[in-house]
Amino acid sequence: MALLRKKDDGFVGDTVALEGVGLRYDDGPEILADVSLAIPQRSFHFLTGPSGAGKTSLLSLMYLAKRPTRGGLKIFGEDVTHAPRSRLAAIRRRLGVVFQDFRLLDHMSAFDNVALPLRIAGIAETVVQRNVSELLNWVGLEQFKDAHPIVLSGGQKQRVAIARAVVSRPKLILADEPTGNVDDTIAMRLMQLFVELHKLGASVIIATHNEPLVARFPFPRLHLDDGAVSILPPLAATPASQIAFGL
Amino acid sequence: MFGIRSDLPLKRDTASRFVLWLVMVLVFMASLAVTVNSYIGVLLNDWNRSVTGTLTVQIPLVDGDEKATAAVVAKVIDVLKRHPAVAKAEAVPRAKVTELLKPWLGDNDVIADLPLPALIDVELQADGADAVAAVTASIKTAAPQAVIDDHRIWLSRVMGLAKGFGIVALTIMVLVTSALGLTIVFATRASLAEFAQVIDVLHVVGAKDSYIARQFARRALAQGMLGGLAGLALYAPALALVAWLASRVDPEILPKATLPPTHWLILAGLPLAAGFLAMLTAHVTVRRALSAKV
Ligand SMILES: Nc1ncnc2c1ncn2[C@@H]1O[C@H](COP(=O)(O)OP(=O)(O)OP(=O)(O)O)[C@@H](O)[C@H]1O
Ligand SMILES: [Mg+2]
Repeated sequence: MALLRKKDDGFVGDTVALEGVGLRYDDGPEILADVSLAIPQRSFHFLTGPSGAGKTSLLSLMYLAKRPTRGGLKIFGEDVTHAPRSRLAAIRRRLGVVFQDFRLLDHMSAFDNVALPLRIAGIAETVVQRNVSELLNWVGLEQFKDAHPIVLSGGQKQRVAIARAVVSRPKLILADEPTGNVDDTIAMRLMQLFVELHKLGASVIIATHNEPLVARFPFPRLHLDDGAVSILPPLAATPASQIAFGL
Repeated sequence: MFGIRSDLPLKRDTASRFVLWLVMVLVFMASLAVTVNSYIGVLLNDWNRSVTGTLTVQIPLVDGDEKATAAVVAKVIDVLKRHPAVAKAEAVPRAKVTELLKPWLGDNDVIADLPLPALIDVELQADGADAVAAVTASIKTAAPQAVIDDHRIWLSRVMGLAKGFGIVALTIMVLVTSALGLTIVFATRASLAEFAQVIDVLHVVGAKDSYIARQFARRALAQGMLGGLAGLALYAPALALVAWLASRVDPEILPKATLPPTHWLILAGLPLAAGFLAMLTAHVTVRRALSAKV
């Protein structure tokens, strides 16, 4: 697929690096305690753990919606723990986020939702039209491009959300339960999209409860429990290049 | 500022109609204040020009005898004409004195029978306290009973009144400006709260604070200018009505005044000023609110 090809804006070191990170909401308990973790460039991880373990919280640190209450966090080699707010937009433009609750903009069509990151980055409209159309075709929503999110089903919304997350060819893709609302066939198709982007050089982290899905891919698992992260080996042995997506 | 895209559904904002209406009212009030202030200024200038460098000498009736009075008048005029500081001195004809009193007393026989003092209009070569004092002294020598009015007290009181109007107008402007600013601050904060989730999404997909602030600023600019134009649209018939009512008043009491071009320029500038102020206020409000985020 011909997604937007950017000049390789290289950085040294890991895509994401956490160093003794702690996170708490207000005066609550620490959701994450002393987490040290490195997400290398061009890696693919699942993020697992019981509900309420802090998967969404961990991802929200990475997409800069929160700052760690302690410890250090680097994204693309840049220390974001204390980085001034004005630096954050540039970093956010290099990552794509799929929210567990989609967070589509209801006053815009599916097309405009997907186009948003490109337009905000000031990409030429002809390029926007081409890339967004292609991507909507890919996720099987070409006939819904003018539909507003309210009239879309959960699974359709999810696909729009994924398209929006990946449209600008981000170097880091953070997906929170991106296949929670679709059937197996579509889930596999969406996973293929993430795998393709991973092969093209993106680091991907997918938070999911879907064990069978995780078991089909040879990717390591970040397991969150009790505020701590452990890295577990892949459940599948098949190399990524040989996965049958069943298409 | 123009030609940027808008990702926020600001048009559906609940507060925006209220803002438009309020800007209209404020600009209407501001325009009235500007006009009243200008009108008073013009009147004053006219009066000022007509009375500076002039004196009015009043010779009371000598024992109710008009002839004796006329003799005193002639004597005073003679003295004045020979005085180096005086440009012109002439008796005001009785007909003109009654004419001056007509608007107040009405056009009837009462005036004709009134024992009126004689008046002498004096024009000085140059305006100045020294000239006034010198001329006053020579008149007093010639006719100790003469009452001399150099209009200064009258003028200073009228000036005081004009200054009062000026201060009131300025106060209205300050109040209008702060009311406009506060309206925009609160309306913008309400919008920010209403669209908090949309703004979060815009941030996540890479929008800068300035990008978001510009959308609010552009909307505020439009509201300020539109509301301002509506305010002027309300002002125009109000002015026309007042002008018509004023035209029916005797010009001796309410002189005709032509408002200067600067007055109309200021009026035309009000919607622009309202738009600009609203734009700046919205921009600063959004930037400040967003800077408190992560
Ligand atoms: N905004 C918030 N304010 C306070 N507490 C919060 C907030 N968001 C999450 N939490 C708490 O943080 C903990 C972790 O929540 P989080 O959403 O990260 O879990 P999760 O692993 O994503 O769960 P799930 O699998 O159900 O999505 C929970 O106990 C939750 O109550
Ligand atoms: Mg979650």
